[in-house]
Amino acid sequence: MLKTTKTMRILYVSLLAIFIIFLIVPLIYMMWLSFDDKGALSGRHYQEVWQSRELLASVLNSFRVSFISAAITTILAFIIAYTIYFTTISVNTKKVFRLVVTLPMLLPTITYGFILIYVFGNQGYITRFIGEPLFSIYGFNGLLIGYVIYTLPAAFLLIANGMEYVDQRYVLVSVLMKDRPMRRFYHTVLRPLYGAIAGAFILSFILSFTDYGIPASIGGQYQVIATTLYQTMLGSIPDFSKGAVIAIMMLLPAIIAGLLLRKFERYTVSYRSTGDYETVSSAIKNRTFMVLCSIIAFFIVGIFSILIIVPFTSAYPYDMSFTWKHVQNVLGMGELMRVYQNSLLVAFLSAAIGITISFTAAIISVRTSITSRGLIQWISILTNTVPGMVLGLAYLLLFNGSSLKGTFLILIICNLVHFFTTPYLMMKNALEKMDMSWEVTGALLEDTWLKTVWRVIIPNIRKTIIHVFSYYFTNALVTVSGVVFLVSTNTSLLSTKIKELQHYSKFNEIFILSLLILMMNLVVMTGGYVLNKPKKRSVINEKKIYYSTGNGKLVSIVSRMWRWKNESG
Amino acid sequence: MLLVENICKSFGGKEVLKDINFQIGEGEILSLLGPSGCGKTTLLNIILGLTEQSEGQVIYKGEEISHIPMNKRGFNIVFQDFALFPHLTAYENIVYGLKNRNAKVQKKDVQEYIDFLELEPHLHKQINQLSGGQKQRVSIARTLVMQPKILLLDEPLSALDGVIKESIKSRIQQIAQDFGLTIIIVTHDPEEALTISNKVLIINEGKVAQFGTPQQIMAQPADPFIETFILKQLHIKRKNIYRLFGERHA
Repeated sequence: MLKTTKTMRILYVSLLAIFIIFLIVPLIYMMWLSFDDKGALSGRHYQEVWQSRELLASVLNSFRVSFISAAITTILAFIIAYTIYFTTISVNTKKVFRLVVTLPMLLPTITYGFILIYVFGNQGYITRFIGEPLFSIYGFNGLLIGYVIYTLPAAFLLIANGMEYVDQRYVLVSVLMKDRPMRRFYHTVLRPLYGAIAGAFILSFILSFTDYGIPASIGGQYQVIATTLYQTMLGSIPDFSKGAVIAIMMLLPAIIAGLLLRKFERYTVSYRSTGDYETVSSAIKNRTFMVLCSIIAFFIVGIFSILIIVPFTSAYPYDMSFTWKHVQNVLGMGELMRVYQNSLLVAFLSAAIGITISFTAAIISVRTSITSRGLIQWISILTNTVPGMVLGLAYLLLFNGSSLKGTFLILIICNLVHFFTTPYLMMKNALEKMDMSWEVTGALLEDTWLKTVWRVIIPNIRKTIIHVFSYYFTNALVTVSGVVFLVSTNTSLLSTKIKELQHYSKFNEIFILSLLILMMNLVVMTGGYVLNKPKKRSVINEKKIYYSTGNGKLVSIVSRMWRWKNESG
Repeated sequence: MLLVENICKSFGGKEVLKDINFQIGEGEILSLLGPSGCGKTTLLNIILGLTEQSEGQVIYKGEEISHIPMNKRGFNIVFQDFALFPHLTAYENIVYGLKNRNAKVQKKDVQEYIDFLELEPHLHKQINQLSGGQKQRVSIARTLVMQPKILLLDEPLSALDGVIKESIKSRIQQIAQDFGLTIIIVTHDPEEALTISNKVLIINEGKVAQFGTPQQIMAQPADPFIETFILKQLHIKRKNIYRLFGERHA
């Protein structure tokens, strides 16, 4: 490895400065505020919060609904992943299941709630079909369904990634040794996947626990911690200290979950070579799992189909005639189109700058010998742990009086920090797989370090750069929690505008805006696919780069996701 | 020409090289031979300027060069895995370094090396389309066009098989002869070291076990390590060949 150069040091220090200013300081300031009592340290705010029945109830509600949804999600995710990896149903059907289960990721979570209302609410099509509501969609039930749909893609991809590394030959050995089906299932599937299953549960739990979009749209009177935090900060009388306490209460489980996730990674059995053997399955098993998966897929498609029905009907559900009227209205509204442009600008800049930051962090971490470069790894663990809402609140508290307040810049920075972990790990894994002698070779061929990075490293990591762009772009476009405290009238984004429209019951507009988000994400994904299409000159097997990771589950999730996107087109 | 004096190197308190001394002249081939982990690659890196020695001196043509950074020493290396840039063609790899010299690179500038290494038919191939031997030759050509003062080769033959190995071996000898280039090779294979080099430096546990010509080493092994580890391997090989072909053919 090359000796540390001045350029490397400058980049490293700049990177650390960014994360100190926009991650460490805001969190420390928020923590300080939670203990601050007119300049003195005190536990008074914590005491008040603990004595507040409503707040405690919202915390307990959050735990309850997140726990149950995580349990359901994990089971469903396991079923779908098992169907894909351990049955012999057709490859195309498997692709459809993958597509359907990951589709919701392309929409803001706040949209899920409105969709559920149109399906299970008083005027919902299921209600109209049955004649009366199956259950009240507002509150616990709505949250539960919303969280399950929201966390299913992440849980599925996590388990699927684990299953990809389960050696199918062991199933064959178990069959040849005449194991009973349950014993075979335990030893060849369940046991090697303990880590992935536990990880999927924890990930689903914490995603639900910290989400704001779904409770904002469908929570009703069922208070959860995210809505309580929002009301505390942006209600009629904002209480900064109390808000800081609630944010810390949200942060703590996230930190514990992050630590548990890392711990469970060790339980995952990773086979070095999975070989290329036929999956062992039976007709009964195929049929059973085909039916189960079809039900799940049908449920998801059924729910999300409303998104493309409502905006194109004259007056859903009373007049179902087709119309372009609502779409034309929205496209004609200058205000909404301005918000759309804002969103695109923020998403694009987040993605462009995000590539630079994550690439710099990864290259310093993997391909330089800077002594304290391990700090970057810790930063990535921290950014993975801090919920978007907590980060957004910390920014609100710290930068409230600064010129950053209400700017696009603060939204972009929030996205960069909030979504840093996965792109960083993607870049890191890709860089680790590249020949470590390239920089030395470059130097001997009279390149400067930066020149080798430009001429050799970047062309070889092009695919990952495109993946990172798509990742940042999509997430910046759909995030609600991260930016809900930071948007202003001038910097309003689509995802937060949807929340505003909710107050005026403008559901047609909400659905059309959601469709615009979905379409934009599909465009970016397709663009990524086209650019990453294997060419004659492509030699780096990037699939391998992603899957042979030992660094945290999230990168595996995303890697699997992007591979699927590329494969399915 | 190249004098290595009293080189010592420690990593975290562990001494990996102890008092290494040797000297080689222009156009000579030196092999650094020893078992895995004996410190030969560390010594190569010290000569290259990639690693700093803890003690001792590296003197090139009378000048102490330890303080000179790697990229200014004018030495060059061919890595074991060749370190070719996979997004470039063989030709683009060969002329990569020349583009840093602010001159328009033309094929005639490198034709001598292309012809010498018989790379003409492969110039426009991608790296993944080349065989191990072809990659090795592209890597050598890329290094030679930079006209290094000393060429270092890290395990140049270990990734190659039989016949190709022999062809690369003779080419390395030819490079030293035709271009008058001093070459230092790292290897763990006694046969390789003793058949390719003018001089062999055998390292064991960070210390020089013997330094001399192949003939000297064969005739007068300096210690039991050389006899048991180095020469015994050759005897076993010889025995196997005799068994297969009979003494006359071997």
